[in-house]
Amino acid sequence: MNWGEMIKVALEGIWVNKLRSALTILGIIIGVMAVIIVITIGQGGRDEIMGELESMGSNLFAVYISQVEDGDYERYQMDEEDCRIIKESVEGVKAIVPVAYTSASAQTKRKKESCSLTATDGEYAQIRNVQIAQGRFFNTSDNASTRRVVVINQKLADDLFGVGSDVLDQKIMLAGNPVMVIGVCKSATGIFSGGDRPEAYIPISLYYTMYESNGAYELDGTAVSKDRVDEVAQQVMRIMQLRHGDKDKKVYQFFNMEQEMQSANKVTGILTLIIGAIAGISLLVGGIGVMNIMLVSVTERTREIGIRIAIGACRQDIMRQFLIESTVLSLLGGLIGIILGMISAALICAAIKIPFSISLPTVLIASLFSIAVGIFFGLYPANRAAKLDPIDALRYE
Amino acid sequence: MITIKQLYKTYDTGVVRVEALKNVDLEVPEGQFLAIMGPSGSGKSTLMNILGCLDKPSTGDYILDGVDVKSQDEKQLSKVRNQKIGFVFQTFNLLPRLDCVRNVALPMLYAGISSTYSKEHSLAALDKVGLLDHARHRPNELSGGQRQRVAIARALVNDPRIILADEPTGNLDTRSGIEVMALFEELHQQGRTIVLVTHEPEIANHAQKIIHFRDGRLVKSEQVANPVRAAQQLAELDEAGEVAE
Ligand SMILES: Nc1ncnc2c1ncn2[C@@H]1O[C@H](COP(=O)(O)OP(=O)(O)OP(=O)(O)O)[C@@H](O)[C@H]1O
Ligand SMILES: [Mg+2]
Repeated sequence: MNWGEMIKVALEGIWVNKLRSALTILGIIIGVMAVIIVITIGQGGRDEIMGELESMGSNLFAVYISQVEDGDYERYQMDEEDCRIIKESVEGVKAIVPVAYTSASAQTKRKKESCSLTATDGEYAQIRNVQIAQGRFFNTSDNASTRRVVVINQKLADDLFGVGSDVLDQKIMLAGNPVMVIGVCKSATGIFSGGDRPEAYIPISLYYTMYESNGAYELDGTAVSKDRVDEVAQQVMRIMQLRHGDKDKKVYQFFNMEQEMQSANKVTGILTLIIGAIAGISLLVGGIGVMNIMLVSVTERTREIGIRIAIGACRQDIMRQFLIESTVLSLLGGLIGIILGMISAALICAAIKIPFSISLPTVLIASLFSIAVGIFFGLYPANRAAKLDPIDALRYE
Repeated sequence: MITIKQLYKTYDTGVVRVEALKNVDLEVPEGQFLAIMGPSGSGKSTLMNILGCLDKPSTGDYILDGVDVKSQDEKQLSKVRNQKIGFVFQTFNLLPRLDCVRNVALPMLYAGISSTYSKEHSLAALDKVGLLDHARHRPNELSGGQRQRVAIARALVNDPRIILADEPTGNLDTRSGIEVMALFEELHQQGRTIVLVTHEPEIANHAQKIIHFRDGRLVKSEQVANPVRAAQQLAELDEAGEVAE
């Protein structure tokens, strides 16, 4: 019997017991749907995280003071002079600035807000990819001449002056010091920003005078390429250890984006795999449903099998008939599951605002997997049908 | 040509042992019309199943056209059932979900013939048994006699040399039975070998030879001097009908 005819017979077999087939298929649909949703959302989440890390710049690195056992913080703090020396001696560094974080109160005649304050040098904007909405970020000469300027984010601008007000060249009091707003940057978005919080940026030389400090806990920099970022970060750390006399090499640590992205990628991948495997169990349950219904079908059609053998079907023909039927059942479920899974995944992705993409390998693997489920769980019932004794089968009531 | 030598068939269900056939020797030459009679349980169906390669003898030989069936594997036997033998059953054994053409076409499809050609040929076979206008009906929409004619069309469709019929008229009224016998007569005239099991002497008398079974043994064998003709029987039936009116 040719394949076309066999598939036709299988489809008829499925069609005759519409409700039963539909319920059986439902098991497969749910299984495939679950797998597709998990994998698609997992992929979307990973793309989102990667995209965000990438937007921070994959060449980014930081060297920071991690722990100071002797309590002599001042000795280990880093400044523009360190940066200058690093630029001279480490060839792969593109830009590097000292960064100090604190929180401060920001005040206008109208209102008082607390905000997080970042003190740094002009290149910071480029290193951290700060998006300017109005005005400009302060530059190196602003820092060198300790100008009393500030860049605030949109959130802080709105909070202090009201939405839509003109804020450039306005004076605010920052931790009790008058400074002039020279730029407004976009508020950070995304999963790592921790929400839309008020922020302000000042030249680090101004920070030294305001807080009676002479250095920062952190250096942020970029390497010329992402392949070299790890090596560059290590070199920078080594120079700091030498310059600041960190003999035990315990004070400084470094971080680089490339490494961070790789581990994030790995973690999300493993998570997706685990949840996908759990979802896959429901596909297995669906497969057992197929097997169950195929066994019922073989029993019901015992006489039919006897007749087919009597008129010249060989065991292989019988085996194939039932295998095709179980495979078509589960492939049908698989295809419907893929479509419904994609639709659900698209809706969920839209709701939680992560990118949705149909990945062809996922669709292909899900289809192949449902075919495999059909064959695997159809094998035993089909074999049972093929092994029937034709005389017994013909006599079956 | 069918040759059976010292054939025994024993069913052993574990609880009881039934010797369904005991030391049967039989030769059916090409083109013979043979009838098998005997009381219920005497082993007629058992013999037919062995002849049809659906079952195997316990001991003894079955040689079909010079080939010992014992030596054939499953695949070869299915080919024999498909090509050499046409089976007609008392209970018709049509597939209820398929319409008549598709029922008739099944043996051709298992022979690997294309579905288009199978369908054409099956319609021709249905025409031969006078049921062309019922081609699209399902078996449960037909009378018993019509169903048996569809089954005969199916048995014929691969043009087998041997027709095995186990009580083909057992479930039919007299007239339908005779109509079916008319078909067998025609098949016989075309040179086919026919082996037919029946309980009714009037049916058996269509054959050239009748053999009798009792308790699994072949006990009597007789030639039929003047086989009955279906046409003649139908005429008599019509006459009797007119008289009754
Ligand atoms: N599968 C089987 N298992 C056990 N015994 C069987 C089996 N098939 C047939 N028999 C026994 O073999 C004997 C012959 O049975 P068979 O069906 O050949 O009789 P038969 O001549 O065709 O009878 P009938 O005229 O009623 O159809 C019977 O005693 C029956 O009980
Ligand atoms: Mg019988």
